[in-house]
Amino acid sequence: MRGFFNKFARKERKMSTLTNELVLEALKSVQDPEIHKDIVSLGMVKDLGVNNGTVSFTVELTTPACPLKDRIQDDCKKALAHLEGVTNLDISFGSQVRGSKVGAGSTDLLPTVKNIILIASGKGGVGKSTVAANLAVALSRHGAATGLLDADIYGPSIPILMGIKEGPKKITVNGAVKLSPPIAHGLPIMSIGFFLEPDQAVIWRGPMLGKALHQLMGDAHWGDLDYLVVDMPPGTGDVQITFSQQLKVSGAVLVATPQEVALADVVRAKSMFDKVMIPIVGLIENMSYFICDGCNKEHDIFSRGGAEKAAAGFKIPFLGAVPITPSIRAGGDAGVPILIQDPDSEIGKVFLDIAAKLAGQLSVASEAGQQTESLKIVSS
Amino acid sequence: MNKPVPIEINHIQAEEQIRITWNDGHIWEYPQTYLRGYCPCAQCQGHGASDEKKFTPVKEAKLEEIRAIGNYAIEFRWADGHNTGIYTFDYLRSLCQCLQCEPSHAGST
Repeated sequence: MRGFFNKFARKERKMSTLTNELVLEALKSVQDPEIHKDIVSLGMVKDLGVNNGTVSFTVELTTPACPLKDRIQDDCKKALAHLEGVTNLDISFGSQVRGSKVGAGSTDLLPTVKNIILIASGKGGVGKSTVAANLAVALSRHGAATGLLDADIYGPSIPILMGIKEGPKKITVNGAVKLSPPIAHGLPIMSIGFFLEPDQAVIWRGPMLGKALHQLMGDAHWGDLDYLVVDMPPGTGDVQITFSQQLKVSGAVLVATPQEVALADVVRAKSMFDKVMIPIVGLIENMSYFICDGCNKEHDIFSRGGAEKAAAGFKIPFLGAVPITPSIRAGGDAGVPILIQDPDSEIGKVFLDIAAKLAGQLSVASEAGQQTESLKIVSS
Repeated sequence: MNKPVPIEINHIQAEEQIRITWNDGHIWEYPQTYLRGYCPCAQCQGHGASDEKKFTPVKEAKLEEIRAIGNYAIEFRWADGHNTGIYTFDYLRSLCQCLQCEPSHAGST
């Protein structure tokens, strides 16, 4: 009882009372810079407390790889600066990755994975696997639970790039036999290569392939993942069709080298993803330029900027340009991706930056997906 | 990506019709025999170069299951076991005969 009166007395001393409602009202002026909605309506403000002029809350970002954390923090400070009675601000950050799978959910093979990202290209040899491996490591370094799936049947190279010596182990989960993916550099990894005889070419027709991929996806025990990065084979064939039919894919990232002839194939890949309604969440230019280790000059071996121009033309978000360097290649050969070997290197920063942009695009896709109603199949 | 997409597919069993509601307001009840007749699979449509949709009349088209395929299509499993047709949203929309698609149907029932 005394507490109640004390509170009452304190209220009277201060002319206006600072309440949670007033703080929330002020925070409504802060927008998520990517989703373009205010952070209060998006439900990102958590654990709000007001105590003797100290306002404390947690901003729950849509991804730990959020590229715009500092900006949101600044905007929050500005929004509350003019609020009467605020003497102290205590803003912390958390994250809850939102799923961005679209469409009806009944047929999904991977229910514990929030976002499935296909790394694809129209042609081979553009460095898709290297980009996929480093991107997965980058998402994981940002703090997101990330897995890597190698679906490149023609040349499964993820086991080499990630330095995996042993395949998956059989385990029993709720009475069903599952495959436990090997862990490399903190990431669970599955590869179609685990199921092939070494040095043998895969000469499979579609149905056989579909079955193998189905097993690779459905029999693996991934656990809860924020992101599953999938290294696709090049082109627009059976594997692409299987993925677009069996999974709820969040988005595809296209990898291209900058010269015209390579970009022509980007168009084909784009048109395929448009047909199966998988949103393209970004384009990455690989082998963009070469930094000479003698003179430190950047040499444009292909025509740097070509992919960025193409991205603008197709209205695809451009995620970044990765240089061609011996260190990326050496990291791959050694089974230790450059981001693990040398996280503070220039090239490491490039991958971290691309991962953050990609995570941002997926958050946008997730928000858009919630607006477009998902398909309901009913019977009456 | 702003193509129309279905938001509800309702199998009205008593009428042997499938009502598809689209996100842009189109609604039409597709008779099951009509959908089955326009099955898009290669067996039903053939491998010819013609773009024209072929209609194969069937006496009966009992439906067993409707399943979403990825983000872009629907599979119908018919009672006779036929399920090779993948009806993309675009294809289903091209079969829509609602009043907005076929204004000439206004007045007739």
